[in-house]
Amino acid sequence: MKVFLTAIILAFTGGALFVNLGSIPDSFLLSHTASRFYREAVVTETGALNTVSAILYDFRAFDSLGESTVIFATVSGIVLLLSRKTLPVSSAGLSLIVKRTFGILTPFVFLLSVYIILHGHLSPGGGFQGGVLLAVITIIFCIIYGSSFDLSRYPPQRKTLIETTGALLFLGVGIIGIALTGSFLGNPSAWRGVPGTLPSAGSIVPINLGVGLKVGAGLAIIFYSMIQKTLKRQ
Amino acid sequence: MIEMHLFISYALILLGCFFALSTTIGILRFPDLYTRIHAGAVALTMSALLITVGTAVYVWELFLSLKILLIGVFLLISNPMATHAIARVAYRHRIAIPVSRDLSSRQKFEEDNRHDSS
Repeated sequence: MKVFLTAIILAFTGGALFVNLGSIPDSFLLSHTASRFYREAVVTETGALNTVSAILYDFRAFDSLGESTVIFATVSGIVLLLSRKTLPVSSAGLSLIVKRTFGILTPFVFLLSVYIILHGHLSPGGGFQGGVLLAVITIIFCIIYGSSFDLSRYPPQRKTLIETTGALLFLGVGIIGIALTGSFLGNPSAWRGVPGTLPSAGSIVPINLGVGLKVGAGLAIIFYSMIQKTLKRQ
Repeated sequence: MIEMHLFISYALILLGCFFALSTTIGILRFPDLYTRIHAGAVALTMSALLITVGTAVYVWELFLSLKILLIGVFLLISNPMATHAIARVAYRHRIAIPVSRDLSSRQKFEEDNRHDSS
């Protein structure tokens, strides 16, 4: 009885979804609305090949500034809640094999994150994704080598400095946009270059770099603040 | 003589698929965590290496093949390391007890754990 009722409800819901989604005129949406504008205007107006990155960091760059402010507020709240009263308590880390292997692998993680950040206007990726990969390095340090290693090699003051540098880079690009184009976060045409090459796409590259530094350092601060509390019980 | 490297790459990829299949059967059929993870470490690394080498031969361009081989090198380094870490943690923190007909290895496991926890 229950199975029968579930089947009836599922069939009804599926039918309703099918009718509603089928009634959308898809060719009209693709050819007459904002997506057509983006398809035609992205390369000529920004010089970026990655449409998502162009929309995030050029057409809606002010929105991305808001998102990175949200990350900043989150980091501030977490650091305020888990304040640094106690000394970081370190575990001894994993075995020697794991430590040596990550000694080989961690530079490549860093290289991959820098690649994803700097190629954000050419290939899938960008500041947020590469920044998360940057934060992975702190997680590797804390878990594999113990959090005292992370404290000595990559202290919280330096993380805060990197995060602030990223935020100031974002704002500085916006102010340079005022000076060169007349609007906040405008894309100056002198920086645009040849589409498809690495130094192109105007202000998208420095904004990607700022967002990447900011997200990487911010998530690293969040992880470090949490692990120094949770490891204390052991 | 046409496309000799294609035959080689197909053979390598098929061999890699055989090792992946044996990995799956091993993970499903072996009795406890250590033997299962042994299947995941040895045979899966072999299958990943064979498939990456086969793909590199299939592509047959110098830089693209080198990039694919680099992926294979990373798999060769990282997969045994990860399985080593999992097995070591499971042994030292008594998460899984080894299933064995041999009584002496069971006793050795108990003695190691008594020594660790003290």
